[in-house]
Amino acid sequence: MAKVTDIVLWDKPGEKVLLLGNHAIARGALEANIAVFAAYPGTPSSELTDTMAAVAEKAGVYMEYSTNEKVAFETALSAAWSGLRAMTAMKHVGLNVAADSFMTVSYMGVEGGFVIMVADDPSMWSSQNEQDTRIFAKFAQVPVLEPSSPHEAKEMTKYAFELSEKFKQMVILRTTTRISHARGDVVLGELPEEIKLGKRKFGKFEKNPERFVDIPAFQRKKHSWVLETIEKMREELAECPFNWIEGKEDAKVGIIAPGLAYSYVKEALTWLGVDDVKVLKLGTPFPVPYRLLEKFFDGLERVLIVEELEPVVEEQVKVWAFDNGIRIPIHGKDYVPRVLEMTTRRAVTAIAKFLGLETPVDFESVDERYKKVSAIVPPRPPSLCPACPHRNTFYAIRKAAGSRAIFPSDIGCYTLGVLPPLKTVDTTIAMGGSIGVAHGLDVALNGVPGEKETNEKKRIIVATIGDSTFFHTGLPALANAIYNRSNVVIVVMDNLVTAMTGDQPNPGTGDTPHGPGKRILIEDVAKALGADFVEVVDPYDIKATYEVMKKAIETEGVSVVVARRVCALHHIGQMRRKGEKWPIYTVNEEKCTGCKICINAYGCPAIYWDAEKKKAKINPLMCWGCGGCAQVCPFGAFEVMKEGE
Amino acid sequence: MVSEYNIVITGVGGQGILTAANLLGWAALHAGYKVRVGEVHGMSQRFGSVIAYVRFGEDVYGAMVPEGKADVILAFEPVEALRYINYLKEGGLVIANSNPIPPVQVSMGLATYPSMEEIKKIIEEDFKGKLITLDAEKLALEAGNVITTNVVLIGALTQTPGFPLSAEHVKEVIRLSVPKKAVDVNMKAFELGVKAAKELLGL
Ligand code: SF4
Ligand code: SF4
Repeated sequence: MAKVTDIVLWDKPGEKVLLLGNHAIARGALEANIAVFAAYPGTPSSELTDTMAAVAEKAGVYMEYSTNEKVAFETALSAAWSGLRAMTAMKHVGLNVAADSFMTVSYMGVEGGFVIMVADDPSMWSSQNEQDTRIFAKFAQVPVLEPSSPHEAKEMTKYAFELSEKFKQMVILRTTTRISHARGDVVLGELPEEIKLGKRKFGKFEKNPERFVDIPAFQRKKHSWVLETIEKMREELAECPFNWIEGKEDAKVGIIAPGLAYSYVKEALTWLGVDDVKVLKLGTPFPVPYRLLEKFFDGLERVLIVEELEPVVEEQVKVWAFDNGIRIPIHGKDYVPRVLEMTTRRAVTAIAKFLGLETPVDFESVDERYKKVSAIVPPRPPSLCPACPHRNTFYAIRKAAGSRAIFPSDIGCYTLGVLPPLKTVDTTIAMGGSIGVAHGLDVALNGVPGEKETNEKKRIIVATIGDSTFFHTGLPALANAIYNRSNVVIVVMDNLVTAMTGDQPNPGTGDTPHGPGKRILIEDVAKALGADFVEVVDPYDIKATYEVMKKAIETEGVSVVVARRVCALHHIGQMRRKGEKWPIYTVNEEKCTGCKICINAYGCPAIYWDAEKKKAKINPLMCWGCGGCAQVCPFGAFEVMKEGE
Repeated sequence: MVSEYNIVITGVGGQGILTAANLLGWAALHAGYKVRVGEVHGMSQRFGSVIAYVRFGEDVYGAMVPEGKADVILAFEPVEALRYINYLKEGGLVIANSNPIPPVQVSMGLATYPSMEEIKKIIEEDFKGKLITLDAEKLALEAGNVITTNVVLIGALTQTPGFPLSAEHVKEVIRLSVPKKAVDVNMKAFELGVKAAKELLGL
């Protein structure tokens, strides 16, 4: 089991390796001779970005962590406009951020192959919604490819570049969590010489304002090009190697399975022991190639479409069938749920119902027996790590602002501050939304200076936002709040890394995959924008943090507090690698009065309650030695025990 | 060659579950199987409940083990075995580390942690499975580093009746995967896991 970054660069065509879907896509991009990659990390897409960062130097690829998806899109796009092969990656909600450029660029097309990898997250394992990117593809009229396995993800990536170049249109490679975060056997292909030699490729930009300037006069002519192109592609995709018909040729029933759903359908059919069906495996859910449908529908009496989330394929198939006078029953979302991710169970259940069979496992009885279990199993949601600086920041905010204050927050690890005992997160929407919401609440509840009337009973508003998120989309919102004379406190929780997605750098750290970039200090930005109060604190000093929060709350106008301390998980990981030790705390039982403040107000996961002795206790394997507990305990019961690890 | 073998690995984020899943996936790949490993990433790992799936055989496609189809559940924490017990097939085996990690909700008095007897009863009576528990953390410390807890459990897993990969083969994959200076500790941890499981299973 070699290191992934080595495997991805292995010059061993034919070798079979176990790769995560995201790693396989990185390999596919290298096999396709990619020149530029730019992205903002978002689960479940991040490992693709991180792998590209790790191999960029060796492979001669320019790679950057951009500040948000729109900027990343534009960086990669420009490379593609210059004739290079370029890629960007994002999660589904990231495409919303890039959407403004994305929708317009479909009218302009590209020169070099341009692939946008979008990772959807059905069931919302780490996302705020489960939007279906295939609808976005249809909206923009660009094709979308959807792999059914990690190996296919690699092969499809190469194909996507070719398709994009051939039609001069960008292509979406859509995965879901279960492709991005599934490992499977992948067979390595050839790497181009330039990648092997690590030769950086440079492009050539040919000026062509009629194409690259989006004034209405130019764009009007191009909308029809977009529609013609997608229809040409629909035709071409009938020969796409990732679309095929399999199973019994003269079967009366057919199943259409796009992307990963194909895997579940295959598994379900094996499990049910059904073989007299015809299956249309679709790697291109948009546009669905009509020519293949003609072949597939021949002789069929009933059809079931098994797809995850929205009925994107179903709608195209039904429209096509109607237009062609085909009147056989076509089922889809009436058998397959439209919310949450596809599973083998869902596929088996839908197919069994469609064919009038029994499911091989009595799922209902499993559910019935499981009811008892869910009643007695305690919940275990994720929590802020031990020694997480955010815990201290929230603790200090709550103490300084009181529980009547309102706490808009943002997307990051700190969103976990919503859980008890901290409960210092009242709203979140999307990246950068906290500052906009804070300002809006101030307008709605308090009134801003210059207005004729303001509300007597003002509410305190304290927003929290992470460092990476601040640069992502917090900046315009901050400018807006300052410009419109808000009275809010904005706490930037700067843990010097983009922690939630896997420790990527950002402008606040100054590091880039190619070495040091230029560091941008959040406090400098806040001052330059004209914030009324700006201060930096170390959240490991809870008292000092509390004092600064108090001052910030008292100051009229926009206060920006930067709570800076490196992410504990990141820090401990680095210490472990270097073989360094850290202090481990313990509870002095004589001093512990059992007041439970450390548990009920602070909540470090390393601290638990010894119900017999009625004392707090520390799990030494989980303590990362921040000393926060010692600061919150009014009885001084926490003491350093020894060095750990 | 089996047509399908399903392992569900559960525990608390940070316990080395994804590493264990990846190691087993590679071992199966080296043995010539088609492999799928399903994992959780991102925020869900932060000390929350974690589940990973390892599947191999000739007919595996999806990355998740369907409910009622797991041959083995390997639980790094006892209550997590119960949380995902709906994946176990009838007659399947649960191998659980015996060290509970009470969730914050339990410490705060908002929930209770079930007793080992309750856990055992549900696994054996309602889900017709077999449960063995071992103090993997203690064995890992005995081997020289608590970080090898996952290797102790993998060692134990290889003793499961019907497990399609040989213990020696899995051990070799681990030996080649861990950093050089950690090889000895890991090999010892593996053996301690094997020994404990043999005793518990009466082999
Ligand atoms: S990863 Fe870092 S920021 Fe996130 S909860 Fe853990 S310590 Fe805090
Ligand atoms: S020192 Fe206290 S607060 Fe910090 S990690 Fe250890 S137990 Fe938790």
